[in-house]
Amino acid sequence: MRYIPSTEEQKKEMLKEIGVSSFEELIEAIPVGFRFKGRLNVPEAISEAELEEKIYQIAKKNSDFSLTKPLIGAGAYRHHVPEAEKFLLQREEFWTCYTPYQPELSQGTLQSIFEFQTYIARLTKMDVVIPSIYDGASATAEAALMSFRLTHRNKIIISALLHPHYKETVKTYIAPHEPEIVELPHKDGLVDIDGLKKLVDDDVASVIVQNPNFFGGIEDMAEISGIVHSKNALLINEIVESMSLGVLKAPGEMGADIVAGEAQSFGMDLNYGGPYNAYLATRKQFLRQLPGRIIGETRDLDGKRVFVMTMRAREQDIRRDKATSNICTNHFLNATAANIYLSLMGTEGLYKVSLLNTKAAHYLENLLLKSGKFEKVFDYPFYNEFLLKSKDSVATLNKKLLENNFIPPLEVSKFYKEGGLKDVLLFAVTEVLCREDLNRVVEILSE
Amino acid sequence: MKLIFEKSVKARDGYSLPKDLFDEVNIKDCIPEYAVSDSKKVLSEVSEVDVIRHFTKLSKFNYGVDDGLYPLGSCTMKYNPKVTEKLASLSNFIYAHPLAPEETVQGCLELMYDLNKLLCEVTGVDQYTMAPAAGAHGELAGVLIMRQHFVDHDDKRRKLLVPDSAHGTNPASATMGGFKMIELKSNERGTVDIRRLEELMDEDTAGLMLNDPNTVGLYDEGMQDIESIVHGKGGLLYYDGANLNASFEIVRPGDAGFDIVHLNLHKTFSTPHGGGGPGSGIIGVKKFLIPYLPTPIVAFDGEKYYFSDVGEKSIGRVRAFWGNFLVLVKSYAWILSMGPDGLRNVSETSVINANYVLAKLKKYYRPAYDRYCGHECVVTGRDYKKYGIKTLDIAKRLMDYGFHPPTIYFPHFEPCAEETIMIEPPESESKEVLDEFIDAMIKISYEAKTNPELLTGAPHNTRIRRADDVLAVKRPILNYGDELKLKEELKYKDEDINF
Repeated sequence: MRYIPSTEEQKKEMLKEIGVSSFEELIEAIPVGFRFKGRLNVPEAISEAELEEKIYQIAKKNSDFSLTKPLIGAGAYRHHVPEAEKFLLQREEFWTCYTPYQPELSQGTLQSIFEFQTYIARLTKMDVVIPSIYDGASATAEAALMSFRLTHRNKIIISALLHPHYKETVKTYIAPHEPEIVELPHKDGLVDIDGLKKLVDDDVASVIVQNPNFFGGIEDMAEISGIVHSKNALLINEIVESMSLGVLKAPGEMGADIVAGEAQSFGMDLNYGGPYNAYLATRKQFLRQLPGRIIGETRDLDGKRVFVMTMRAREQDIRRDKATSNICTNHFLNATAANIYLSLMGTEGLYKVSLLNTKAAHYLENLLLKSGKFEKVFDYPFYNEFLLKSKDSVATLNKKLLENNFIPPLEVSKFYKEGGLKDVLLFAVTEVLCREDLNRVVEILSE
Repeated sequence: MKLIFEKSVKARDGYSLPKDLFDEVNIKDCIPEYAVSDSKKVLSEVSEVDVIRHFTKLSKFNYGVDDGLYPLGSCTMKYNPKVTEKLASLSNFIYAHPLAPEETVQGCLELMYDLNKLLCEVTGVDQYTMAPAAGAHGELAGVLIMRQHFVDHDDKRRKLLVPDSAHGTNPASATMGGFKMIELKSNERGTVDIRRLEELMDEDTAGLMLNDPNTVGLYDEGMQDIESIVHGKGGLLYYDGANLNASFEIVRPGDAGFDIVHLNLHKTFSTPHGGGGPGSGIIGVKKFLIPYLPTPIVAFDGEKYYFSDVGEKSIGRVRAFWGNFLVLVKSYAWILSMGPDGLRNVSETSVINANYVLAKLKKYYRPAYDRYCGHECVVTGRDYKKYGIKTLDIAKRLMDYGFHPPTIYFPHFEPCAEETIMIEPPESESKEVLDEFIDAMIKISYEAKTNPELLTGAPHNTRIRRADDVLAVKRPILNYGDELKLKEELKYKDEDINF
């Protein structure tokens, strides 16, 4: 077997050195009654060429996604990923190493993650950054748990316009605390400010608000944070489309206490939902309640600037059942992907592409409205996703789009049962859709 | 080495964007005044060439499995096949949107469906969820399933047993899942103390989380008693899959009485660790626990694959979307490459490797438990304390010999397991590599006696020397902004920084 170098002869030699005559002697401790008898019923080994053929055949049962472009976002965005980034990520030194417990052999990963922490601190204008939680949903859930620890309260208010999967994930994570969960209604596609004023009270640990929200709407986070802070509750600012940070005011400038962000848009493909990478950012005084790994700068014996995993007294391998979280393996490679992406884009590139996303989305919305086939659902400001109600049957429209290699927008009625949201579509536009594509979409839908 | 920010040159760029930026659309018509950023966020200004060189150089400061032996105990750092990387990067997978209509992603769904079947066969359970992203994530899901099972049976239990030898994630997961963690002390043979288990396992205890082989690398000879005691009190057995590499076709956790089984695809099933992830920590359960799995799971109606809602008893979602799909592709491809004989060979070879290392080293490093081990062995550096040598020094010295050190100080419990060195030489390591490693370990044992400074000052040949962990905590610099602030406070100049 090409992945197992030892020959049968060598294995025998080793058994002899161990002082046993057969392999079975080594596993005598396993109770006989529990041992597996016979052969595993899995397919016989196939060659590399056969394997490739087999997986190609499976992949071919998907649509040909090399030709399609999505009009759907809803938590996963197809942005362009530069080849330079993909190329660098294939370096085995980044891929095949373990968590950087031994800094002398892991400065590559450590420095890269430190740089990523810096980028996120600059984009969010927050003090400290946890560079890697599995995804945006689990990061939001960790932020909710963190708010319980910080406030010693267990009531939480969740915006109705938090991504539905994120909402469910938060509920799963906090269930053992038997919390009081209140849903904050929306009004015309944005957080209902008057509703929020009524709901926030002295028992509330935190309020979770996604911005831009699930409908793409741009919330007035400064106003929201004022209301939340009036009762000493914490504001968790969830960012699902991190690309928006290029043009939107930073959460740190608008009173966010904890930022939970999905970084998929920074150099990660759609990957059928994963792996992605999320970050948490907060103020310095909350540092000790953060979950997960963080990288810090220090000196080595020669006084050289080096990087290590630090503030480890919060973590499971040290604090065990008293740890702030159980998280161990995270998504460091994806954090490095994001670091490379942001380095390539730079100050100017990120600003431009972020702006391009919102402009192209507004261009499409405008054309679709002009086509007469759609109407506005809410009059609200949005970033790169927007709602429109279709006058034609959604099924026909989906079919037409698929035939023309576009993945249709999300039908929000899949997640929202409100009467007014029937036949309402959530369109997403990114820079991979050029003007010609957008014109074509309008043409197809106007036929 | 300089940070990317220190290489920044004003007006240099590394991005590529289309010419048409929709300039006719006015930003004021897009972003309301309350939300628009006053200025551009400052990142860095470097070219693509700068980026390639920066990260290529950084990569060379890492040590990966392709560089050589990586014998981290409990981490199963085996070789990662290259073909699986290619297969996981097919455009039909990487450009598949997670909410695309099911008819457009039949390939993705079929792969998840098939992988579930294969893993059920390999581990003896009835259904997996592909959602958990890492081992600890799977543990949390598993513990929440336990909790939900008892809530559903009107039998709310408050405690959960975790052996003292367990990974830190187990006790942390128990707490996160709402249980009080009760530590179960191991016996002098390194395995579960059956008498203590009998005392502690009561009707307020949800069950036991266990590795098998356990975290000191030993198959538990008391497994039958453990099973009957825990199940006898209505408890559940949770299998931590960190050590499954010792068990293919030898013992299936499901057959040994485990009700919930978690697998680390990024260990046992050969997908790379990525310097700390992404992994995949999926969990499988016996039939009676399927209603509590995270929702949804993939089903097949004879014609089409589709997502099936688990139902109202489900613990809910543990993440957005379906799982770390690309990691699933790699594991699936690996299983197909191995076949039943290959899988058996994996476990046989890794168990022989670990016992071989133990047999060769035990004269020089006293074993924590002098008996045959599973796929990893635990020796100690305790006999070198009298020379002023700690296990840490031995580990650092190994780097000078070109090896990544084994796991050290874990597990750690007196009296057997102190100054521990846990060595896991997976099946992908040849006898020659092991012999070189054994030679280095023996040389170090002599150096410890004759020239201890060689060890306490080690490593000598790596890019950096030992790092000051205390300083990192005392004076936290957690991003480049912190460093700049400190420099200003202390009036440092750039030439004072030693890169």
